[in-house]
Amino acid sequence: MRALVVLALVIAIRVATADPLRLRGDALASTASPAGLLVLETDAAVRADLSAEAVVWLAGSRTPGEDTTGDVLVIAVRARALADRADVRFGRFVSTLGALQPAHVDGGATRVRLPRRFEVELVAGIPVMPGLATARSWDWIAGGRLARRIADAGSVGIAYAQRRDDGQLAREELGADAGFALGKRHDLGTRVAYDLANPGLAEVALTASYRRGAVRTELYGIHRAASHLLPATSLFSVIGDVPSRRAGTVVTWRAAPRLDVIGDAGLRVVDSDVGAELVARARLRLDDRGSSVVTGELRRSGVGADMWSGIRGVARIALPASLAFTSELELVIPDDDRRGGVWPWGLGAVTYDDGTWLAALAIEASASAEYRHRVDVLGQLGRRWGR
Amino acid sequence: MKRVVFAAVVALAGLAACAGILGLRRSTPESFPHRSHVVAGVSCTRCHPTMEAAGSALHLPDDATCTSCHTKPHDTRSCAGCHVSTLVVAELVEARAHLKFDHRRHSSATQGNCMRCHDGVATGASRVRPPMATCFRCHADKRDARACDSCHRDLAEEGTLPESHLAHDGDWIREHGTRAASSGDLCQSCHQESFCASCHGKTVPALPAATRFADPNRQSIHRAGFAARHALEARSDPGACTTCHAPDRCAACHTAKGIAGEGRGSPHPAGWVGIDNRHGREARRDPAACASCHGGAGEQLCASCHSVGGIGGNPHPPGWTSRQPLSAMPCRMCHPLGAR
Repeated sequence: MRALVVLALVIAIRVATADPLRLRGDALASTASPAGLLVLETDAAVRADLSAEAVVWLAGSRTPGEDTTGDVLVIAVRARALADRADVRFGRFVSTLGALQPAHVDGGATRVRLPRRFEVELVAGIPVMPGLATARSWDWIAGGRLARRIADAGSVGIAYAQRRDDGQLAREELGADAGFALGKRHDLGTRVAYDLANPGLAEVALTASYRRGAVRTELYGIHRAASHLLPATSLFSVIGDVPSRRAGTVVTWRAAPRLDVIGDAGLRVVDSDVGAELVARARLRLDDRGSSVVTGELRRSGVGADMWSGIRGVARIALPASLAFTSELELVIPDDDRRGGVWPWGLGAVTYDDGTWLAALAIEASASAEYRHRVDVLGQLGRRWGR
Repeated sequence: MKRVVFAAVVALAGLAACAGILGLRRSTPESFPHRSHVVAGVSCTRCHPTMEAAGSALHLPDDATCTSCHTKPHDTRSCAGCHVSTLVVAELVEARAHLKFDHRRHSSATQGNCMRCHDGVATGASRVRPPMATCFRCHADKRDARACDSCHRDLAEEGTLPESHLAHDGDWIREHGTRAASSGDLCQSCHQESFCASCHGKTVPALPAATRFADPNRQSIHRAGFAARHALEARSDPGACTTCHAPDRCAACHTAKGIAGEGRGSPHPAGWVGIDNRHGREARRDPAACASCHGGAGEQLCASCHSVGGIGGNPHPPGWTSRQPLSAMPCRMCHPLGAR
């Protein structure tokens, strides 16, 4: 395990020797577990058609007896060929095939643009397991997507993927997706995922937006069946077919050059419970660049007995000498007050960011059903190299 | 009367301050009156003579160029100080920094006709830089191949957000999945692998809300006091957690924190299993929640009652079907020897 992490680091650093390159290291420390986290990320474009990136991390816990852990989040090489008509990725990355669930894989993927505006994507690999658990055999995932662009307006696609865990069928999905930009004002996007292992709709999502002047209005709807999102090897994938649904509209209004007002009004339905999803948010930039921002938000969310109301305020004030002060406050009031009537949460931070060095120190305080009160101190020190 | 005057002054000062804060009162000059110059028959290169020269100049005319026609300037200050919008200059500086563009290479293709690209200038548009759609009139192949780096040096560094389509407005965290389904390659124009993996990866050390704790305006799931409200949110949106987390994530975290596991009492209320049969209703509603604790070896607990011939009865909903053979997992747990 550690050897692989070291190997990943070595590869990342070897890649980073290419030019131009970007390297970023972040060390985070918190009085909450994990106590320390070191994240190293790098990307390099060796040539215009060949690039690589890697993100590796090491975490240490303050709990006595717990080992230091680490893993590779991403280590991937990407190449383009055939006059930009094909690109290939291999390594560890998140694979997305149209409407199907994203999958974190160790493997390869390719996308080829064919004549007559057709496009083919293929993915094959081993599903990533945390901690580099490679003891299992016959775990694999493979799939593909065929899409066609419709003039300049958008595209439609169908995708299929199958996943085997220890040789057994864990997921088999068929997906369809479509996205259109109709004129300068209308946008439409939809995706449907169908579970083939235990036939039934896994997920349907629709979004349609209309923009006129300073106002953008979006209508959305989501249908999700949790049992179809579980691996087919789970016993719980066969006991329920009760979907949760959510639909509503979001209006984003640029009320003034520096003021955005966002309203979200929707309904949630889970089984026989119905709940409202109401959000009102205002974001005010205190300068043209948006260096200083004040945001306020009111929210009503949940279904049935799990409804809650909340208020949130955020302020980021840019100070001289690359310094900034940030504060974030949230107050949650659950309808069911058996686990506490109010759950406050707050964070205050001072940051320094000169483009090369990043340093931040914060105090986080909260009270919840779990803790009567809790105070944590967080620190971050980062350094960027290149570009 | 004095109070009224005082109140009026305060109100006016407040409105003026608000107008400044909201950006309604611009402190920068209006855009340059290109249209009146075009109508007067002034050629573009008369004021922008360096267009054909190589280099990174912004090609903005200097005072001498202006005074070659406007021989009696009405002010001693620089012309650009009042007649050129600082926003336009900022846009040009940004373009120079982030775009691979050379006017020389385009002048032959456009036969020296600047209006082929800068058509907004003639109509009095405030922006000088042509929109990207103008580029695609000739470079549609680059758009189709998503070869953004043909023109953009580094989109991630540039930090440009889509202005119209795929605008990251409203509740983008909810919306992005639907948009990315059909435009995944477009997302990759700006976002690297690590951007998707920072939330969807199985080996995420901490979500962006934790690693970028000092940037509260960055959109991220699990922001602020999510730890306190996560149970409410999970129950209100069954299956949402499974989008990123393995089903056993809840149990792993709760056991690590000492909330669940050995030595802890049952989290289920009275009547969970029995006449009320609350567990059946809850399991159908959010099977992922059951799997979070009872997945894997814990499934035997369910099979002990719900197997064929058991007292639990058929747990499948009406009309339920499966393409799995009864000999495969998990069917064989409850259907021994292929019993139906």
